[in-house]
Amino acid sequence: MPKHEFFVDMTCEGCLNSVTRVLNKLGGVQFEIDLPNKKVSIDSAHSVDTLLDTLKKTGKNTSYLGEK
Amino acid sequence: MDPSSGARSIVVRVEGMTCSSCVQTIEQHVGKLNGVHVIKVSLDDKNATIIYNPKEQIPESLQEAIEDVGFDAVLDEANP
Repeated sequence: MPKHEFFVDMTCEGCLNSVTRVLNKLGGVQFEIDLPNKKVSIDSAHSVDTLLDTLKKTGKNTSYLGEK
Repeated sequence: MDPSSGARSIVVRVEGMTCSSCVQTIEQHVGKLNGVHVIKVSLDDKNATIIYNPKEQIPESLQEAIEDVGFDAVLDEANP
């Protein structure tokens, strides 16, 4: 399964937790968060649009970087 | 509070905020919901004070909105 990479403008531990929570709430995702580089890699059967919408719920600047 | 306007106010405890950008995120997201007049989030007190129109929002929907952003929200017992 392809890994999708997203840019999420996280600035602190709280932002990271917030991203973790919305992704866990969506379910069916495996992900890694790279706080210093503001990147989230997600392994999931969900579409890119669904993942992007979920990440955008955190209210942060978010964009899709592509498959890894 | 002006009772004739029908606005109500609640305080929601919010866990997991660590910086001012978390605060802004919540204020922006909840502040744009229908029926929310004012939201003030305090990082020090770990809570959010929300003035809202009870015809459009209920405490549970406001709690849900904060949880959507990714924070733990707890309604205080003291609220009716």
